[in-house]
Amino acid sequence: MSGFRIARGGLIDRSANLNFKFDGKSFTGHQGDTLASALIANGVHLMGRSFKYHRPRGVISAGASEPNALVELREGARREANTRATIVELYDGLTAQSQNRWPSLENDFLAINSLASSIFVAGFYYKTFMWPKSFWEKIYEPLIRKAAGLGTASKEADPDTYEKAYAHCDLLVIGSGPSGLMAARTAARSGARVILADEGSALGGSLLFENEEIDGTTGSTFAQAVISELASMPNVTLMPRTTIFGWFDGNIFGGLERVNDHVAVPPPFEPRQRYWRVHAKRAVLAAGAEERPLVFGGNDVPGVMLASAMRHYANRYGAAAGKSISVFTNNASAQRTAVDLQAHGINIAAVVDTRKNGKIINVKGGKSVKSVSLADGSHFECDAVAMSGGWSPIVNLMCHRGAKPIWNETIAAFTPPDMGSQFTAIGSASGKMLLSECLRGGIAAGTFKGKTPPTPKCRDEAFAIQPFWWVKESTGKAFIDYQNDATAKDLPLANREGYGHVELAKRYTTTGMATDQGKLGNVNAIAILAEAAGKSISEMGTTTFRPMYTPVSFGAFAGPFTGHHFQPVRKTPLHEWCVEQGAVFVETGLWMRSSWFPKAGEDWLTSASREVKATRANVGLCDVSTLGKIDIQGKDAGTFLDKIYCNTFSTLSIGKARYGLMLREDGVVFDDGTTSRLADDHYLMTTTTANAARVMSHIEFCHQALWPEMDVQYVSVTEQWAQMAIAGPKSRATLQKIVDSFTLNDETTPYLVAKDITILGGLTARLFRISFSGEHAYELAVPADHGNMVARAIMQAGQEFGIVPYGVEALSIMRIEKGHVAGGELNGTTTAGDLGLGKMMSTKKDFIGRMMATREGMVDAARQCVVGIKPVDKTMKIRSGGHLLNQNDKPSMANDQGYICSVAWSPMLNMWLGLALLSNGRARHGEVVKVFDGLRGHHYLGEICDPVHFDPKNERLHA
Amino acid sequence: MLRTSALQSVAIQGRFGADKGQPGLMLSVVHPLAIAMVIARKGKSKVLKDALATLKSVNVLWAGPDQYYVQSTVKSETALYIELKTKLANIASVTDQSHGRVTIRISGPKARAVLAKGTPIDLYTEEFPVGKSALTQMAHVGVHLTRTGNDEFTLSVFRGFSESFWEWLTSQSAEFGYQVG
Repeated sequence: MSGFRIARGGLIDRSANLNFKFDGKSFTGHQGDTLASALIANGVHLMGRSFKYHRPRGVISAGASEPNALVELREGARREANTRATIVELYDGLTAQSQNRWPSLENDFLAINSLASSIFVAGFYYKTFMWPKSFWEKIYEPLIRKAAGLGTASKEADPDTYEKAYAHCDLLVIGSGPSGLMAARTAARSGARVILADEGSALGGSLLFENEEIDGTTGSTFAQAVISELASMPNVTLMPRTTIFGWFDGNIFGGLERVNDHVAVPPPFEPRQRYWRVHAKRAVLAAGAEERPLVFGGNDVPGVMLASAMRHYANRYGAAAGKSISVFTNNASAQRTAVDLQAHGINIAAVVDTRKNGKIINVKGGKSVKSVSLADGSHFECDAVAMSGGWSPIVNLMCHRGAKPIWNETIAAFTPPDMGSQFTAIGSASGKMLLSECLRGGIAAGTFKGKTPPTPKCRDEAFAIQPFWWVKESTGKAFIDYQNDATAKDLPLANREGYGHVELAKRYTTTGMATDQGKLGNVNAIAILAEAAGKSISEMGTTTFRPMYTPVSFGAFAGPFTGHHFQPVRKTPLHEWCVEQGAVFVETGLWMRSSWFPKAGEDWLTSASREVKATRANVGLCDVSTLGKIDIQGKDAGTFLDKIYCNTFSTLSIGKARYGLMLREDGVVFDDGTTSRLADDHYLMTTTTANAARVMSHIEFCHQALWPEMDVQYVSVTEQWAQMAIAGPKSRATLQKIVDSFTLNDETTPYLVAKDITILGGLTARLFRISFSGEHAYELAVPADHGNMVARAIMQAGQEFGIVPYGVEALSIMRIEKGHVAGGELNGTTTAGDLGLGKMMSTKKDFIGRMMATREGMVDAARQCVVGIKPVDKTMKIRSGGHLLNQNDKPSMANDQGYICSVAWSPMLNMWLGLALLSNGRARHGEVVKVFDGLRGHHYLGEICDPVHFDPKNERLHA
Repeated sequence: MLRTSALQSVAIQGRFGADKGQPGLMLSVVHPLAIAMVIARKGKSKVLKDALATLKSVNVLWAGPDQYYVQSTVKSETALYIELKTKLANIASVTDQSHGRVTIRISGPKARAVLAKGTPIDLYTEEFPVGKSALTQMAHVGVHLTRTGNDEFTLSVFRGFSESFWEWLTSQSAEFGYQVG
């Protein structure tokens, strides 16, 4: 307990006290604190336990790269695991729990793992849990999963909402430090549309905590003035709390805005987070640089911290990491920490600089720093250690599209690749380590045209570094990757065991994995691996940088599209009428279709059976609005359809409908439907519900790519019309009551007529005499706004005849009774011949699929073709998916001859019956076959028959 | 015959969402509206453009290459269809879409902010001026978007999606407070 609140200074509001709880204990912080800064100020260094050894861990950084201080934030349904205490803004009432410890953070049982660390080396899992293989899934993996892992997810539904949004700009500035502010201001003053995004809660970047002097004022005052100016400009959008996490094709950036993560509960109607897609004409990366840890014994003891983080906490939050500090560095920048902390009255115990051959070998202390031992044998008492192993430009975004960063010897760091003018790096993100370079680079990047404005005056701190990667004399564990407990020794081991490639070493040692993705440790790891492999750092190179830069919650990706908003719901124009009639709906693609219309106490089968019987006995009304409808016009419309369909449409008479079959280019059946000719140059095509969009795309492709010379126009009219099937012996009598001034009979409305009529005293409608049920039937289309009204009128008209509404279940039963093929048979494997429709293929014209449909295999007599099937034992239920075998064959797929595609209970024939595909099936009507249902582990006998089970002579159709 | 809007039972008039003084936006259903899809016949792009320019009491909105929505709030759908069929004979194919699409007007200072939650199109005035239309997608639904004023747009979607789309649109408008008129 050595951290404390410095008496004065910092950008916190000391008058605003915020109470919060960590592991159940109450603390107080101030407005402007992060959880980490408030804990430090309260003397809490121990914030978590490590992944593998369960070592006590404290905060290392003051920002997004934090590997150690991961906590479960909030409680109940809002609990969020693995949040970084360094970026969690403190609010009143905040609660957080430490992770990966049991029973408590102070006394963690699995810390015993540390004693067995000699066996927990790199590749441990691969080496240990290999045999026996069967143990992996049942024993090893569950055990490992129980022992490992960090926070736990809440299993309750997230009560908050998430949004998605798009933004556009001339210049996207990523990072609001000195470089970013100058780029944004310069571009904004010239009138460009600018977005300035920063992951921090406040804009200003390093100017919020570094002691700088710009234009005669402090860095933070200068930053505030620039931010105020930007905020007043209409062409500027400031986006604090927004992490730009990925760079994608088209100069599109992904961003995560933490709109309300800094409050306990988002205000009403506001989302917790917003997922942004930013389209930028140009972008600049001004993300700054990340300080690296040094690799030495005990570099993970709570209280050992990045030097920049330590002054960040002191200068910005007034939180001192300790009373007496040792500084360990290989470069000039850590001197700032010594100077700044001293100015706050904190004792500097030692400054150990590798450039002067100083080395800290070990840090003594368990849950907090007690002292440091140096290579020269000296010891220093201290309660915190500030370390600096150099600076790594935050190159991630510029490498998201595959380019690799470039090693720079002078600053001992990887710098961004050149990605051209659409995306450039400036300031320390580009390896420019002086403040004046940052300001100048920002101004240059923000200059769209004309002369570059002057650069503000500032004081520069010289930067010099001498690479130093690993204190090999250390006896204690020297960590490379804190989050994965990978030590420096793991890397030479990986190299010795054949995993010396940087990508292999990552997987073998787990260095650079998990939530921080090696932001702090990777460069050290690469350097040590390179040395072990006898390569230069440049030759070793980096692992692959991929989005996301920092973790993005699934909630943000899902946005508002959760629950029943997961996909849009598509309702037919008759939906309201269906609801009135008590419909049970079924999702068919996006459509809600009425499935059956149960009366009290009816299950689906009873209801559907009653609907079938009533329709076949009297009349039924079915909503068929979901069928695709495409309006096709133009002087070449007929010729066009002749090519699309395998049968002919150019010869169809005006006012008539015809069943059409279209093939794919490979000769397999694509879709079917009824197409009518409304005028010489005007057709109306219908498609199946499932293929409506696909057929439209097919038509567009065929016209645009294959026959652009044709004069043909097409547009979907699916939604324009409410369409109803009126089927059954009383359908004509029912319709007669609503049509205007003409008599329905076989002269005025013969089978396959398609005509424009008016109904109910002047309402436009289209009447088709077509049938899917096998009954004397019609389809009536009316403009959609009138759909419900017309359906009600038809119900009223049909009341005296006993009209019923029927749904897709009844529709399906009737089509199976009639042997009409549908989805089960049009399944992407069947030819027209297989379906018994081979004669539809015209021999007088070319059409899509014609050539391929004549290949040997496509006309083989042994092909599986559509047959009817019924159980030999008429009381038996048959099911789809059962395979057909010769009667005496052993029940095995080796004897497979075909399968059942569609089944239904036939209320007309009082038995289950179906349609099947059977090898050479048309020659086998009457044969008894074995139906093998391997899934349910049984078999039974079935009889092959004609697919038309009911009314084989089609007498009802013309009745 | 009186038409029934697909959103009749959903788009209830009133003030909804956050209460931060003046509502951030207004939403209304443009109904009844006569709409015809007009597609140029082969080689008739220019002739069609000229012919469309002579029409009275209609709005002509771009709806794809050589395709337009012709809209009228004063003509019945049948009258519009017949007029276009006659005037554009052999110039264009005309299809009545009056009932197939639902048109929503969105206006107010936060209209653009709400639309930006759905469309990747840049609605900045210089990029998307008044009178311009675009085919886009919002909330997984195809939308025909037109700018009708500085802070005013119309959104037209397939009828079947209109209820789902309305739910999304209103939920995204709630943070600004909205008025349904």
